[in-house]
Amino acid sequence: MDLYFIVFAIMAVGAGLFTITAKDALPSALGLLTVFIALSALYLHLHAPLIAIFQVSIYAGAILVLVVFVIMLLITPDEDLENVQKNMSYRILGAFLGSYLIAVLAIGTKGVKDLLHQQTLPDGFGHPALIGDMFFKQYLLHFEVASVLLLVALVAAIYLAKKNI
Amino acid sequence: MADWQIDLIKVVFIWVWALLIAVVMTWVERRASAMMQDRLGPNRAGPFGLLQPLADGIKLFTKEDIMPEKARKILFLLGPPLFALPAFSAYAVVPFGDKIVLGGKEIILQVSDVNIGFLYVLALGAIGVYGMVIGGWASNSKYSILGGLRATAQLISYEVPMGLALLTIVLLYGTFSLREMVLLQQGTFLGFLPNWGIFKQPLGFIIFLVAAYAEANRVPFDLPECESELVTGYHTEYGSMNLGLYLFGEYVNLGTLAAITVSLFFGGWTLPYVDMSKFLGPVAYGVASFMVFFIKQAFFLFLFVWVRWTVPRFRYDQLMGLGWKALIPLGLVNLFVTALLVQLTI
Repeated sequence: MDLYFIVFAIMAVGAGLFTITAKDALPSALGLLTVFIALSALYLHLHAPLIAIFQVSIYAGAILVLVVFVIMLLITPDEDLENVQKNMSYRILGAFLGSYLIAVLAIGTKGVKDLLHQQTLPDGFGHPALIGDMFFKQYLLHFEVASVLLLVALVAAIYLAKKNI
Repeated sequence: MADWQIDLIKVVFIWVWALLIAVVMTWVERRASAMMQDRLGPNRAGPFGLLQPLADGIKLFTKEDIMPEKARKILFLLGPPLFALPAFSAYAVVPFGDKIVLGGKEIILQVSDVNIGFLYVLALGAIGVYGMVIGGWASNSKYSILGGLRATAQLISYEVPMGLALLTIVLLYGTFSLREMVLLQQGTFLGFLPNWGIFKQPLGFIIFLVAAYAEANRVPFDLPECESELVTGYHTEYGSMNLGLYLFGEYVNLGTLAAITVSLFFGGWTLPYVDMSKFLGPVAYGVASFMVFFIKQAFFLFLFVWVRWTVPRFRYDQLMGLGWKALIPLGLVNLFVTALLVQLTI
């Protein structure tokens, strides 16, 4: 275990805890921002600079900005979220979603035994060109399925937002 | 000199350079606006009023730091640094010159030549908006919140066309490294034009420039500040050096955007038709390449001022309409045509 990993791992976990315990909505979103940045630093450490940058520019730079936009549109600093937090149905829903995520994580532990023996990185690992190559040759189907999924979401959003198309 | 010493010198140089540009720009802005409006502008402190930024700085530093009673204290103080720091950090990947040979050692005039350089700039530009949002929200004032709200919506809307315009550039050069992009812009295009990005991507350049103005919150897109509606928007409640950091960060941002524009579309430190390295010594060449870059950057910095005092402000719905209905479709068409051309010529 090296120091770099420990520092950013603690930062990510700590900020994650803050995200789910914060009283106000915006500080909670900022906690999530910290998680993203810590994760990005960890990706850098794993020799994946492109993923690290995407983590910042897409998750922190676009998706979270959208979340912050909604928070600022709907909640003023004076308002508190206690009535939302005390609502039992939200809690039950959260418990279900949380246990689902934990289950996914548990499946991920199947790969733990790969971590035990050290592996050498292939040549040019993490280079943008190589990732593009993999996307369009080895994982083309996955890539296209993901883009169709996004397209469906886009069409659905427009359908919901517009009354008469 | 050891490598880390050279790196340290480069980092310090970049900081000082970014700061100097920001300081001088406040003066240029006021003098140029005065010139355009047939006034004199600040001309009392020093020759041509050149010491005016210094006087302003002293004023900002010595003013009382007032915080609204109902503000969120920690977030209120966090806002300005969060806005200014990403702006400074973006300079790290700007190639501000070719290379200089000192004491038999070849030094690249760029703090760090990473192969994702240009995505890094985009990412930091997106992070900068949190400074405005936090400042606006923590102030607990309706003007500030509206300013922050507008900043987020504007950033999301204009990131897309900017990304699309930059994607065409990536398609064209086949790399993310800003240094390699500049090196690929040497020589001539079609036999007589300089081999610059703007001649290969005129539409991409226009889209990028418009989006850059929106990202930097400059007139005609300075809706988050918008004096006539929101007092001064997200930094309404700020005073003293906290306000100074916001104003400063904006000029540093302009410097970065100008530098990126030069590197992507105007050949960076290279001169058209002339290869400076042929007839200049190694040290003189390094300095000359930096000067060329700086002159190009200075032009775009002045363009920011020029546009600000020439064009009126957009209305907010017009701003959104321009982003989503004009720039994004144009960007998509441009991307498609470029991809087709690149595919056909390879």
